[in-house]
Amino acid sequence: MFDLILRNLTQRKLRTGLTIFGIALGIFAVIVMGGMSEHFNLTFDRSISLTADKIRVLPEGGFFGSTLNESKVREVRRIPGVSDAYGFFQAPLDPESLGFFGGDMVIGLPPDKLGSALRDTKLTRGRLLVSGDGYRTVLGSNVAREFDLDAGDEIEIKSKRALRATSITHSRNFTVVGIMEYTGSFFDNGVIIPLDTAQKFYDRGDTVSLILAVPDPDTDPEDLAKRIELSVERVITFSPSQLRKQIEQSLIIFSLITISAAVLAAIIGGLSVMNTMLMSVSERTKEFGLMKALGAETRDILFMTMGEAALIGMLGGIFGIIGGSALVFYLNSYLESQGTVLFAITPRLIVIAIAFATLLGILSGTYPAYRAAKMSPMEALRYE
Amino acid sequence: MNDIEPVLQVRNLSKTYMQGKIPVHALNDVSFDVEKGEFMSIIGPSGSGKSTLLSMIGLLDKPTSGSVFIEGVEITKVKESDAPRLRREKIGFVFQHFNLIPTLTALENVDIAMRFARVPKNERKKIALELLTQIGMRDRVNHKPSELSGGEQQRVAIARALANRPVIILADEPTGEVDTKTRDMIVDLLKGLSEEGHTILVVTHDTAISQKTRRIITMRDGGTASDTISH
Repeated sequence: MFDLILRNLTQRKLRTGLTIFGIALGIFAVIVMGGMSEHFNLTFDRSISLTADKIRVLPEGGFFGSTLNESKVREVRRIPGVSDAYGFFQAPLDPESLGFFGGDMVIGLPPDKLGSALRDTKLTRGRLLVSGDGYRTVLGSNVAREFDLDAGDEIEIKSKRALRATSITHSRNFTVVGIMEYTGSFFDNGVIIPLDTAQKFYDRGDTVSLILAVPDPDTDPEDLAKRIELSVERVITFSPSQLRKQIEQSLIIFSLITISAAVLAAIIGGLSVMNTMLMSVSERTKEFGLMKALGAETRDILFMTMGEAALIGMLGGIFGIIGGSALVFYLNSYLESQGTVLFAITPRLIVIAIAFATLLGILSGTYPAYRAAKMSPMEALRYE
Repeated sequence: MNDIEPVLQVRNLSKTYMQGKIPVHALNDVSFDVEKGEFMSIIGPSGSGKSTLLSMIGLLDKPTSGSVFIEGVEITKVKESDAPRLRREKIGFVFQHFNLIPTLTALENVDIAMRFARVPKNERKKIALELLTQIGMRDRVNHKPSELSGGEQQRVAIARALANRPVIILADEPTGEVDTKTRDMIVDLLKGLSEEGHTILVVTHDTAISQKTRRIITMRDGGTASDTISH
């Protein structure tokens, strides 16, 4: 029967081509939007795995609330079950931008804790920070590419300090001592400098943005996170699982928005399949009547018509994936030169796109197929 | 007549259509038997009920009352789901307008009837070639209907009707769209098939055809007006 399906499709080349194009456009949107969502999923996943063993201790009001004094680090470190704790400072590299998605960040960390924070991340150039490094920095791979920097080069960092009603911008060159490999995490957009230098440069005194607490290997991080909250005043904690849950939630919302826009486009493509199939079934009324008179079962007619719709869907899916991937490849290579990557096409996304396109074809073909299968053979044969 | 069971038995067959609120009696208490290998024609003016009768026998339509038996099976009582199997196994259709599928070649048009009967591919090709050779279309097997003359198309349609070795072949005005020379050739072909043992029932208003059949049933106003057998 498959040869008959192919024969029918190739008989009406322009119409079939246009319908496939409609589906392909929808799937193109699914690939581009889905690729963006997948990239964020992957980035956050890898990023979390880099810090998944640590508890995040934040000031009570969160990032934008009160600041966290570095003395709290010692308090946290004293709690039984905490193997180590250190302050973490962050500020946007460009003070004019808030730097949420993909923005470059200045990260302040105690040099001796870098190994713990970055875990097994390797360097492609130079070395990590060591104690005593002042205005020196280790760059994330994206930042290095964006500014075309190598070990030994200098990068200008600006800080904006509030002074009465106005603000003054300071700037200073930092020497690059090392460049990290690509991690898929926020560290790729990080400009890591020693914590004490950061506090001085940004005029933050002894404060940090958050504290990272490393639990003992045999301590339950969930339990420890609660104990930290109880023992240290005016802090809130995010255990690794809470952090994962929170990020997952925001990712789901982001994915829902992007994917639903793409799905809408694909559904419009699906309607074009339905339209084409209805026309095709109507044109072939007599043919179906004849097939029934020759003894075709309802399932034979259903298979032929739905198979045709499914094939249109699948072909649309394949072309959509090819087109979407080409655009994503082009955009990614352009964005890479700008220091960021925005899309990731995963095997999962391709499987979902193909399955979705085929399913869409089948669903859109169901009603026309039902109409074809339910025709009375006599009436169909008389149809002109 | 012999005492072997007839292949086709039509018993008190009636069909009433509703045209709006007015009942139209298309068939009225028709009964007859057809023996195996018979070559018979049903003639009558337009609207006499010939085609309606053929639709009932061919399981394309349901009668209002009465029964049709093919090889003793009451086909008018079978479930809708069993109808396709009976159409495949018992009945071969030949239509006035040939009704070949335009996108398929002659060979594929014969082949498709056997696909629905789930005949394996190799066997289908073998049978289709044999049948097309038998009707003199061996060198036209790869031509599409648009590349064939009316007579050639009808011959392909006859080969298709024979493909599943049906009990009875129902031909509805098989020469309605061909010239007289082709008409004679098709009638001779059908006659030859009946001599080989095929049971063939032709609906026609062309007396040139009916004269060549051994038995003629004449219909008028939905009923049988006469049933004559020539010797």
